[in-house]
Amino acid sequence: MKILARLAFVAALALAPLSARADLKALEEAAKKEGEITWYISHYTAEGAEDLGRAFTKTYGIKVNVVRTTAQVAYQRLLQDMKNNQTICDVFSSTDLGHYARLKAGGKLEKYIPESATKIDAAFRNFDPDGYYHPTAAGQVVLTYNSAKVKPEDTPKKWTDLLDIKWKDKVSTGHPAFSGYVGTWVLTMRRLYGWKYFESLEKNKPQTGRSINDTVTALVAGERLVAAGADGSTLFSASRGNPLAVNYPTDGSILMISPSSIVRGAKHPNAARLFMEFLYSIEASEISVKHFGIPLRPEVAGAPGTQPISKIKVIRPTVEEVEKGIPEVIEQWRDTFGN
Amino acid sequence: MAVTGTVAVEASAAVVSRAGRWDTTWLLWIAVIAVLLVLVVSPFVYLVLTSFQAERTGDFTLSNYATAYGRARYIDALFNSLKLGVGVAALAGLFAIPLAWAVARTDMPGRGFTRMLVLATFITPPYTGAVAWILLAAPNAGWLNRFYMFVTGAEAGPFNIYSFTGLVVVIALYSFPYIFIFTTAALELVSSEMEDAANILGAGTWRTMRRVTLPLALPAIMGGLIICFLEAIALFASPAMIAIPARFNVVTTQLYQFFGNPVRVEVAAAYAMPLLGVTVLLILVQRLITARKGFATLTGKGGERRPIRLGPWRWVVFGYAMLVASLSVFLPYIFLVQSSLARAWGRGFSLDNITLRNFDFVLFEHTTAAQSVINSFIYASASATAAVLITLGIAYIVTRRLVPFAEVLGFLCVAPFVIPGVVLAIGFYAAYAPPPLSLYGTALILILAFTTRFLPIGYVNASAALRSLNPEMEEAVRVLGGSRLMALRRVVAPLLKRSLLGAWLLIFIPATRELSSAIFLYGPNTKVASVMIFDMSEEGNFEYLSALALILQVLILPLLWFGQRALGRDFMLRRTAT
Repeated sequence: MKILARLAFVAALALAPLSARADLKALEEAAKKEGEITWYISHYTAEGAEDLGRAFTKTYGIKVNVVRTTAQVAYQRLLQDMKNNQTICDVFSSTDLGHYARLKAGGKLEKYIPESATKIDAAFRNFDPDGYYHPTAAGQVVLTYNSAKVKPEDTPKKWTDLLDIKWKDKVSTGHPAFSGYVGTWVLTMRRLYGWKYFESLEKNKPQTGRSINDTVTALVAGERLVAAGADGSTLFSASRGNPLAVNYPTDGSILMISPSSIVRGAKHPNAARLFMEFLYSIEASEISVKHFGIPLRPEVAGAPGTQPISKIKVIRPTVEEVEKGIPEVIEQWRDTFGN
Repeated sequence: MAVTGTVAVEASAAVVSRAGRWDTTWLLWIAVIAVLLVLVVSPFVYLVLTSFQAERTGDFTLSNYATAYGRARYIDALFNSLKLGVGVAALAGLFAIPLAWAVARTDMPGRGFTRMLVLATFITPPYTGAVAWILLAAPNAGWLNRFYMFVTGAEAGPFNIYSFTGLVVVIALYSFPYIFIFTTAALELVSSEMEDAANILGAGTWRTMRRVTLPLALPAIMGGLIICFLEAIALFASPAMIAIPARFNVVTTQLYQFFGNPVRVEVAAAYAMPLLGVTVLLILVQRLITARKGFATLTGKGGERRPIRLGPWRWVVFGYAMLVASLSVFLPYIFLVQSSLARAWGRGFSLDNITLRNFDFVLFEHTTAAQSVINSFIYASASATAAVLITLGIAYIVTRRLVPFAEVLGFLCVAPFVIPGVVLAIGFYAAYAPPPLSLYGTALILILAFTTRFLPIGYVNASAALRSLNPEMEEAVRVLGGSRLMALRRVVAPLLKRSLLGAWLLIFIPATRELSSAIFLYGPNTKVASVMIFDMSEEGNFEYLSALALILQVLILPLLWFGQRALGRDFMLRRTAT
């Protein structure tokens, strides 16, 4: 009897992955019938997002309509779609955590726990205990600069260095009313130094684009010299030979763990699930690393030149702080910076 | 006897069948009128109603107005727009009036070439111009600044596109063709006799121009200036690209903010009212001024028109024309091409900076960019076709006075002219996005909005063409027993083929680049090229942006060529075009 139980246990162990795989197989079949998904994505640059979408299409033959915008624009579109009963977005990937808190509370998200959720790095697991949203990308807001025009010793080392008058007309930032990265950065700066940080920054007349990735263009063009930028898009551009480098601020870089979730009432629910699984695959992590993102899968090493987050000081605001704080700082920003 | 009998029988048969067809024709008229109600009246009514409605309940409220005008920032944006409009009109006048005078009245060399360059300016969408000027006049990296620093050895250059002045310059550079069109049209009617009279009385060329020629064209110039002002305050693309980094708002970018998260259509509607009011008012003023037709320069006498001899001055004038063209065409396109072929635009002209990657990316790698261009062309042709057919029908009803109060229909057709694109889009959104019609995110809502936006162009062309058509020919059809519809299809349309084609192109070309009404109405599957370009500009990828903008321009060229072949070289620069 005991032996039988043991046998059953062993069999179960052997079969468990099989059954999971069988589930995935069934999911894949169902997904292929749906044929396509629409992905609102702000985690990556347009190129990174297209790369991921293309890889998914290549593996499964399912078309991905990649709609890459800044987080707030993506969220606004999603809400507008929902309000008009035209939910076209299947998978929603924003960089503003508050969006997920609000969407979840409003019952707008589909609960789905990816089969591969246990395979990602422990640091990213169990992000939403209820399983409505799952981290699928990670990056940081750091200090970035044009390495051809600024010597390393002159570069800003901590966030308050950006307030130095020597950077007047030389600073670039994104806009918190568009970018989730910028919103989270502004929120964190307010927590560390109070709003007077931005009143001082305003005196340096920063050029404010919309996306945080706009800082990359501003630096490469030599239009601006230093920026609060994203490590991923900056280092990716540097790897293409552009004169860019990053400093991990001594007072802490902002760790951005950005989730994805399936939208309730999605038109392609199976394809959306399969896509969530795909975002947790080794392949997706490899593409992410190609774009200098932090890999979610422990099997994949971080991009060359990036610092593992265990080695540097990082700050990460909580979901609650972001949910409440970003709408506040957008208004404050507009009052201080004029629009 | 027998012969007359047959005729009588046939005639009575014709009467019967005509009466039968009359019904169907009437149905068609009713349909056309209904379409007009849907396209013009309903969005407008919804716009006004919405501005007084509470968001969820729909109850009457004034709180939208309180919100819309409740902050200093919002009020500032209103004044910024007014300042912008005045600045643009003044600067565009400075660009356009000398050019128009030189082209229409003098022996300046390269007049045809200058016209061509004005046309090139005219078909450059405002956002393409804005992107090009960011490359030229970004405060540190802009090419003009670099050149200045290189020549003078200075630390910094004088130009800053990210400023109020920068925005004025960019908009003026791409809206001066409106003034040019109005002014040349008027100047070409001024006969040389008046100038001769001034010359005989001792006035030189300049004095004659100042005191005689230009004053004669003044009403037209004023009309052009007003159109330019309205164009500037209604524009969304250039302010979005330049005013956001320059950190100020104008009405249109503020409206875009109200459309942000959460979407406050009601507040946006309330905030759009001054824009609408100013536009209606100024269009009325413009009509009053231009209705005076100057000082009766249009006499029946075939006044002789000779070009004025400028002597050596003609080269100075030519130099000025080329200067303006450099600012609006040569420099922008040189650097657009450079940027579209560059790995990083700031690294300049060197071999290791050249790549075709940007074109490859926007055409083949990007899942939606190429599709967005296709969407633009499909929607534009659908709208152009719809607008031409509708306006032909209505112009026919109006010119042939087929229904009582036909003039009202004509008025409705030109009414969208006074509704700025963003405001029109808000009206459409309020009227058709929510249930029962639920057109949100569909191609149809974009096509309807584009059709409405360009109805005036269609109508002006169709009614001008119809007026030149003697009704006798249609009457012949009717006498022979054909219905009105048949007359329209078999006689009127074929005779007007050319004008209709012209109207179609005049609608199609601007519709392919329309942004201000598309920005509030597109859905994820109905993105058009202009919205794609605007989205791409978020990340500041000017290399991709330039590539996509150039692709869009190149695709227009065959149509332009075709239009010029079929309709004459200046078909886009005629008065009826605006």
